[in-house]
Amino acid sequence: MAKRQSALASVYHRGISGRPGEPGVRLEELPDLNLVQVGAWPDTLETAGTQVAQAIASDTVPGPGRGISTEQGTALRVEALKWWLLDTGAPSLDSDTGVTLDLSHSRTRILISGPEAAVCLNRLLPLDLHPDRFVINQVASGGIHHVGVTLWRSDVGYELFIPRGFAESLWELLVETAEQFGLEIV
Amino acid sequence: MTAQRLPKGGHIDRTRPLTFSWDGTPMSGYAGDTLASALMANGEQILGRSFKYHRPRGIMSAGVEESGALVTVGQGAKQDANVRATTQPLYQGLVARGQNAWPSVRFDVGAINSLFGRFFAAGFYYKTFMGLPPFEWGRGTGMWMRYEKIIRKAAGMGTASREPDPDHYEHAHGYCDLLVVGSGPAGRATALSAANAGCDVILVEQDAVLGGDSLNHPDSAAALQEELAALADCGVRVMASTTAFGLYDNGVAGLLERVTDHLTDPPSWLPRQRFWTLRTRATVIAAGALERHVAFGNNDRPGVMTANAGRAYLNRFAIRSGESIVVATNNDSAYTTASDLAGSGANVTVLDSRDVIPQSLRSLSEAADITVHLDSAPMQALGGSAVSGLSMACRQGNGWQAAGRTDCDLVLVSGGWSPVVNLLSHRGIKPVWHPELACFLAPASDEPILAVGSAAGIWDDPACRESGRKAATEALELIRNPSYRAAAQPPGDWECPIDPLYEVRPAQKKLKSFVDPQHDVTTDDIRLAHHEGFVSVEHLKRYTTLGMATDQGKMGNIIGIALMADALGKEIPEVGTTTFRPPYTPISIGALKGRNVGPHFRALRRTPLHEWNLNAGGTMTMAGLWHRPWFFARDGETISEAYVREAETVRRTAGLCDVTSLGKIAIQGPDATELLNRVYSNPFAKLAIGKTRYGIMLRDDGLVMDDGTTWRLSENEYFMTTTTAHAAKVMAFLEELLQTRWTDLKVHLTSVSEQWAGVAVAGPLSRQVLEACVEQPTRVSDEALPFMGVVETTMRGGIPARIARISFSGERAFEVYVPSDFGPVVMQSLWDIARPMDGCLYGLEALGALRIEKGHVTGAELDGRVTIEDAGLGRMASDKKSYIGSALRKRPEMTKDDRPRLVGIFPKDRREIFNAGSILCAADNVAGYGEGWITAVTHSPALGHWIGLGFIKGGHEAWQNQEAVCADPVRKGNTAVEIVSPHMYDPKGERMYG
Repeated sequence: MAKRQSALASVYHRGISGRPGEPGVRLEELPDLNLVQVGAWPDTLETAGTQVAQAIASDTVPGPGRGISTEQGTALRVEALKWWLLDTGAPSLDSDTGVTLDLSHSRTRILISGPEAAVCLNRLLPLDLHPDRFVINQVASGGIHHVGVTLWRSDVGYELFIPRGFAESLWELLVETAEQFGLEIV
Repeated sequence: MTAQRLPKGGHIDRTRPLTFSWDGTPMSGYAGDTLASALMANGEQILGRSFKYHRPRGIMSAGVEESGALVTVGQGAKQDANVRATTQPLYQGLVARGQNAWPSVRFDVGAINSLFGRFFAAGFYYKTFMGLPPFEWGRGTGMWMRYEKIIRKAAGMGTASREPDPDHYEHAHGYCDLLVVGSGPAGRATALSAANAGCDVILVEQDAVLGGDSLNHPDSAAALQEELAALADCGVRVMASTTAFGLYDNGVAGLLERVTDHLTDPPSWLPRQRFWTLRTRATVIAAGALERHVAFGNNDRPGVMTANAGRAYLNRFAIRSGESIVVATNNDSAYTTASDLAGSGANVTVLDSRDVIPQSLRSLSEAADITVHLDSAPMQALGGSAVSGLSMACRQGNGWQAAGRTDCDLVLVSGGWSPVVNLLSHRGIKPVWHPELACFLAPASDEPILAVGSAAGIWDDPACRESGRKAATEALELIRNPSYRAAAQPPGDWECPIDPLYEVRPAQKKLKSFVDPQHDVTTDDIRLAHHEGFVSVEHLKRYTTLGMATDQGKMGNIIGIALMADALGKEIPEVGTTTFRPPYTPISIGALKGRNVGPHFRALRRTPLHEWNLNAGGTMTMAGLWHRPWFFARDGETISEAYVREAETVRRTAGLCDVTSLGKIAIQGPDATELLNRVYSNPFAKLAIGKTRYGIMLRDDGLVMDDGTTWRLSENEYFMTTTTAHAAKVMAFLEELLQTRWTDLKVHLTSVSEQWAGVAVAGPLSRQVLEACVEQPTRVSDEALPFMGVVETTMRGGIPARIARISFSGERAFEVYVPSDFGPVVMQSLWDIARPMDGCLYGLEALGALRIEKGHVTGAELDGRVTIEDAGLGRMASDKKSYIGSALRKRPEMTKDDRPRLVGIFPKDRREIFNAGSILCAADNVAGYGEGWITAVTHSPALGHWIGLGFIKGGHEAWQNQEAVCADPVRKGNTAVEIVSPHMYDPKGERMYG
């Protein structure tokens, strides 16, 4: 199978830049995204949800604005009737229960971590990221420079899903912004 | 004014001396100084020249209302004009200079203007429009065009750098429960109480140093530090050098944080300024009050300041700003200033316009050895370039009369206090005049916004703190209970009432008394405006330009309104005040734009083939946010040569084109077919699996919205393509239909524009190219993949692909879609095959040429005015079903025979060319809007001459025997043209099916 090429291939330079000292922000592209969208119907939300939970071997299914992560993968409830499944296979649904769609190449996935990660994100993203209000496993849609993005707070940092075509442009903004906190690109 | 730095005291750091330069002269100050305090300590008095008259100006205040010490800071590209020296923190190496003066602010040739002062009175500029008296009086503006330039050169303020701004800026978003504006006693008390009650508080302070009025009290440093530490301990986020410049809907506040304006050599990673959008649940405004001047003769002389400024320079900056000082007041507040200054060794005289003062002030004055004159006021400052004395006036009945003179080097004036109600005014709250306190106060807000401390007319320190604590309780209630309404806090009081004194003008005395010094507006200008018929305060403002300078009326508005009221014989409440609008203090344009400049002006959208296209020699162009390949020039080719070659190659062998930017929508669900059949004007119910169909979508009003192909991948799954331009619009419209009109349909829409990279493979040899790149060549044979067929198959390397045989160019052609990350690999393998076949890469320009030859429409034609019949596609529209736009497209106006219809256009003389955007006219009537227009033009390699697409009344049949002209009056002139069928090349489409 041919090798995938990241949208950031020509601009991703590992290393440390900006304010000296311990980096306040780490940026890391999580390559080879495996993303399947599951869409349910209003009357099949529960059945489809069960399939989503099974796909990641979880007892529960994430509600609106929430995610659940297990060793089998991650499920994010990104819309009222939609989940995103990360790092796992697609459940097989008949179309009366719901539909699945491979979106693995549609987004660039970036992990933003470090003590200043939330502060850094708020320089670009208008979401209240106060650690008590945007808790671990919270999911939200937002916009950076008018581009719709999805944000999930995992237990190691914030994962940002950027539409692939805008990834390079927003990556440059992220890097410029993060340098004031001391930046490490992993 | 003989200012002197005192050996101790103040909030400056004597262990950190700083050097800076003023008009080229090296000087020194201390950390903690402002540029104004440092200049004062260095004995500089004349810091600026006034706007019209070039009068010498010095420091008038110690804050944002400053209207005298406006200077230029920095040099070259980094120079910043009209900086208030009173708010500019001093830093090592700061370079500042005077402005609006030549050769310098001390010796300014332009000062000759003040000799002609009476010509430059209010409305001078407007009057110049009437012509040059007496030659042109009232007849026009012939001369104006000439002397306007001279006027502009003579009048003005600082000049901006002509170079691009080398600094960078950024935006930021903040969230909190409570925003407190101002770090004075009231603001600190609010923040502390609210934070202790568990509130998430942000406290902002425009000054670089926290403390507000507490900094102006003697020996306040230690206690203040303790208080600030307590704030930090309870989690208040404190932001210094940050101005809350505006309040907006739903608890949004705009903040400007000056990040590096106080640094000598800011690190490259820090933005100069940060523009915050803060979302808060409640706001407490503890922004303080601004002290007013009083208008008297030469009250703009260097050496005339507000009384509180004298106190600030003494206690905050340890500078005694004069030796022999007259303090002129109409209220109690100036006495502490007088007493503090006397305590520092100055000789102080108080002129109080009132006839009685309380015993407490009398005792204070006596203890400090201050002489107090009651019923007295300043009449005219004396001295050429700085104050050397003062003529005084004493009250005589209802007026004033001259009463001798005194020598002095500093006049401190207190004309009363104006609470900073600006932020509340931004919310549409009309301030109300309080006659006892002689100031405007803001009434209660319907929003969770409260004013406290002197911003609410509460003057003394303990009462301000109490007011802050009370506001914290109210704010918590407002956050808890959205229906709660807090009353405005009752204002405080003076021990002895303020005397509403705005101007000292003895009868028969000719004085030059300034109301708005920045724009050189005098009291006579106000009266002149009234005399010339201006009665509304809003008209007064615009005619005299009162309050329209960089301080936006902070210094002079109240005096101006009071004088206008007096001239009208009205009370101030009847005249009212002007509305304050954001920003509270000026904001650089750079901060508004943040990082969205240069290549980031808009977010750039790149296709997965972006780098590949560039490496292959592509020149890119913008298509909306997308970067698309425009043409691929070979050695020495111009764009025209390149696209003609590319288009010709596509018709001869094969070409490859990146078409990723087309909109792509996944349509899934049991009702997907039903949705498509309702939105497309042509039938879709019976599209077979593995087939695609060209579809036209109308708007509700029956006009064409967009076109594209939709591929049926399985029983319940479709893949829709849209034009690049309308992708988002179509997606949003379909989603709106599902969410508002057809909520019963089980369909999911997902944009997959980013998921798939698209390549058009077009030309007679296109199938050979494709066969060599797929794992099973039989899947793309003519039988397996006929015209309008779709296959899902695998490219070499195990890459999944969906391929449709569709044609935009009119040649046999395929659109190949592969997952985006595989785009470059697949493109390379296609090119490896196409290149030896004498194939080409082609860009948007050749794509355009090919589609114009075929008469295929794009966004240029589907411009929102066109019916499906106008586009020549009327026979596609179904009459058997109901769909979006099916009813309204039958309106009489939409079905008239003489509507402009899509046509092809040839130049009559085939050697001629013509332009897109031209008007099509009948040859015998080249006038008005003509009979049609041209949407697109190209050189046609297939036909060997210039061609165009456009619309003309009745279509090409109606013009078979009529002469037409392409009129281009502002560019090329008229060109005789033939109107032909839009299908200019291969009208039967034989090449596509081959």
